[in-house]
Amino acid sequence: MAAGRAGRWFLLPGLMFLFAIDLIPLAYSGWVSFYNWWLIRPRDIRFVGLANYARFADDPEFTRAVVVTTVFTVGAVLVEFLAGLALALLFAQPFKFLRPIRVLLLLPLFVVPVVGATMWRVIFHPELGVLNYYLGVVGLSPVPWLSDPRMALVSITIVDAWRTIPFMFLVMYAGLEVLPAELFEAAAVDGASAWQSFRHITVPLLTYIMLLAILIRGMDAFREFDIIFVLTGGGPGTATQTMQMLNYRAFGLGHMGEANAIGIVTLIIVAGLCFILMRAVLRRPRVASP
Amino acid sequence: MRPSRLRATLTGVALAPILAWTLFPIYWITTASFKTELALYAKPPQWLFSPMLDNYTRVLTNIPFFQYLRNSLIVAIGTTLGSLVLGTLAGYGFARFHFRGSEAVRFLVLVTRMAPRMVLVVPYYLVMQRLGLLDTYTGLLVAYVSFALPFSIWLLIGFFIDVPLDVEEAGMIDGCSRLGVLWRIVIPIAAPGLVVAAIFAFLVSWNEFLFALILSGVEAKTLPVVIAGLNTDAGPLYGEMSAAAVMVMLPNIVMTLALQRYLVRGLSLGAVKG
Amino acid sequence: MRISRSFAGVAAALLVMLAIAPAAHAPASAQGKTITLSMLAGYKEDVLRANLPEFEKKTGIKVVVDAAPFGDLYKKQLLSLSTGGRYDVLFMDEPWIPPLSEFLLPLNERMKTLDTADFIPTTVASGAFQGTQYAVPVDPNVQLLVYRKDLFEQKGLKPPATWDELLADAKALHDPAKQQYGIAITASSDIQTALYMLLAMWSYGAELVDGGKGSLNSPAGKKGGEVFLELLKSTPPNVKSYNFADVNKAIQLGQAAMAIQWASGAKPMEDKQRSSVAGKLGYALVPKAVRQTPMRGVWTIGIAKNSANQEAAWQFATWLSGREFGQAAVTFPSATSAIHSPRFSVLKDPATKAALPYADTLLASLQITKERPRLREYADIQENLRVTAGKLTAGELTLEAALREIDAGTNRILGK
Repeated sequence: MAAGRAGRWFLLPGLMFLFAIDLIPLAYSGWVSFYNWWLIRPRDIRFVGLANYARFADDPEFTRAVVVTTVFTVGAVLVEFLAGLALALLFAQPFKFLRPIRVLLLLPLFVVPVVGATMWRVIFHPELGVLNYYLGVVGLSPVPWLSDPRMALVSITIVDAWRTIPFMFLVMYAGLEVLPAELFEAAAVDGASAWQSFRHITVPLLTYIMLLAILIRGMDAFREFDIIFVLTGGGPGTATQTMQMLNYRAFGLGHMGEANAIGIVTLIIVAGLCFILMRAVLRRPRVASP
Repeated sequence: MRPSRLRATLTGVALAPILAWTLFPIYWITTASFKTELALYAKPPQWLFSPMLDNYTRVLTNIPFFQYLRNSLIVAIGTTLGSLVLGTLAGYGFARFHFRGSEAVRFLVLVTRMAPRMVLVVPYYLVMQRLGLLDTYTGLLVAYVSFALPFSIWLLIGFFIDVPLDVEEAGMIDGCSRLGVLWRIVIPIAAPGLVVAAIFAFLVSWNEFLFALILSGVEAKTLPVVIAGLNTDAGPLYGEMSAAAVMVMLPNIVMTLALQRYLVRGLSLGAVKG
Repeated sequence: MRISRSFAGVAAALLVMLAIAPAAHAPASAQGKTITLSMLAGYKEDVLRANLPEFEKKTGIKVVVDAAPFGDLYKKQLLSLSTGGRYDVLFMDEPWIPPLSEFLLPLNERMKTLDTADFIPTTVASGAFQGTQYAVPVDPNVQLLVYRKDLFEQKGLKPPATWDELLADAKALHDPAKQQYGIAITASSDIQTALYMLLAMWSYGAELVDGGKGSLNSPAGKKGGEVFLELLKSTPPNVKSYNFADVNKAIQLGQAAMAIQWASGAKPMEDKQRSSVAGKLGYALVPKAVRQTPMRGVWTIGIAKNSANQEAAWQFATWLSGREFGQAAVTFPSATSAIHSPRFSVLKDPATKAALPYADTLLASLQITKERPRLREYADIQENLRVTAGKLTAGELTLEAALREIDAGTNRILGK
């Protein structure tokens, strides 16, 4: 069929590029994970099979990191998705005063993550920071933003949310903007309430975009590093030590096999979660050709 | 259906705290760039003060800032164009042409983003070293487009699927080629999606640190590496980092302001009616 | 359509820009040699760049500076050297020299041409590994005790000389109600925490590695750990989130009466734009118990074994560790911090003492420093130390368990 053959030409450039640039290196890294390769001993590279992976099985630090990463990811994505959706819905209303505010909402995205996190550290500073100062003024006791294990997780979620809600907002707002207005008008004529419109028109049509937003954010949150590193460095203790920290540590010490093994495990976990989520939410994609 | 004044007020009230929370750190960073470190930590916190330009002068004289800015711009614009072109083509391909295993291939596209990026550093480094692409724009472009592309493709698939088929059919009956239909009809309708993909690709490139660090060093060094360098072994230089961050924010704001008028509904209405 | 025309125009302009951009770079200088330096970004880079033209004029050697941030420099050097990379000279922190020695040019013969008597002996040792000299010292760093002269005078106290005195003084000056704390150190999972703990344990006679085995779990180690934990009672309440910069902030903003801090953090404490206590600070050697062991951390310059420009590289190393650059660097008006010098002549110079109020203490400390174990595996051992110290201060481990875990980790790493 003519359609099928033409399709190949559309897909080939992007796919060939991606598979050459990403999948092949990924495969290489997977292969390296079966070796013991310490950069400072370039002549002493040994095949060790699954030894790098086996070590994780009885390493409580690794298990703890998996838990911390998952808790952070789920919490962050949930907050960011709901807030982003709420904002997108707010902004989808045709009010003139909303137009210029859009860019303001996007500003956190434009701040280099390291600087954003560093400034949040200043804001969070327990003795000298703005937040605790005003809490003191109102008579509340200072919050140990980064020095209490549980609070530290909340704090990094706050900073991550600050940084990423604009992105979720942007994606879902764009999705809402292309929804045909006639559908909503027809529903209003038929007497549907705002909630009914939302539930029966918006949600089904926006499902793909919402799912994509959650997937992408989930993948990124699972691999989040910069913000957590600057804010807590994995501490206090190991309260915020994520898998990415372990990866960074192994990589920084030159243990390539170990670092890549952590990476591959991350990949498997993320791929598994994404696959489940996609299966659960996405029906057959409505693909058709004219 | 005209939303009431009440709705407008409620919307405003709901937005106010969110705006405050979003903008406060930005305000803090901006004011920090005009303050001394002592003033930054002053108690009570200084909201209004007399600004000084020392941080900006220090950043601009100690670092060849504009050279790095140019590097960042070139790489970011290149990344945006590259991922838009490849992403649009592939997105359209996936949206309109279904073949056996296309879902698996689509998933595979996303898989490349599931591994921590550190995992890709060494293979990229080795390959680029062999090809002589270290510390070049090309090397960085190739890497960054590969980061931005998966999301661009998936995003655009979603937007292209939503373009009504009859519009495309009408275009093809009128003698347009596939590519023509894509360029003249589908893209305008899906414009908001392209805007998001463009902004996303630009940001991915603009803020990328790890690969800029490893794959560049002197010639193609970009701003994030420079800013990370302000985190010295004697502590972070809060003033200079803030000044640099403010200057780095500006191109992003300009780009978004330029693109945001395409982020609206309305481009779709004409097409559907016709 | 409006969109297509404007996009096409923009795209065309950008393609043109991209096409001409590579041509806009000037080619490397054709005359004389060019060497590539892997450097630490920040104020050290600034000082270097300010003085580099002089070197280039004198020798005709062009130096291409590839600077990386502090947290990532080792990674970059390791990756480059282990894959046959392109650096000729490398600015390295001393703990990196044992692992990188594999890739560095031995300098024993060349060192003889230098005026090594002017170097503080401990700083020269920082560039050596297993009898071979791999790097020349450039910028020494060492732990110092910083204290508020005015607060001590007020209470009629002398700066502490022993750890017992330190504990007593910290307690005496600790007044949380007035937001005045005895001492500022870190208790986070930052590396500084581990180094403070190690300093305490060293002072009581413990060793991290002894005879190829982890040996911190000893009566001396236990005593040092207890003293360290005791000291935490006189610190600001939230030191569990503190890092190097926060220790500085605590002093600069008048919160802490004392601090143990690296000399590189001292100059910012005397900077009027950053510190409200500039001029009120005194400096002393770190306290002693059984012995006095200020921790050493020297930045050095080494040459890559596979460098194609070894002679030019050595000329650069000579200049960088030389008296001229050393003097210029120490008095360089940096707004951040200072490059110190490993040379007696520079540290004793009056201009130096005018620029660095702590120069005397620095010189005294450098002569009695203790080095961290010179092992290839040290980075791994230090990482284990860091994580375990963080767990100790966070309350995840008891002191006994922490000491056992540190030694177990050390043994596991060395046993590989």
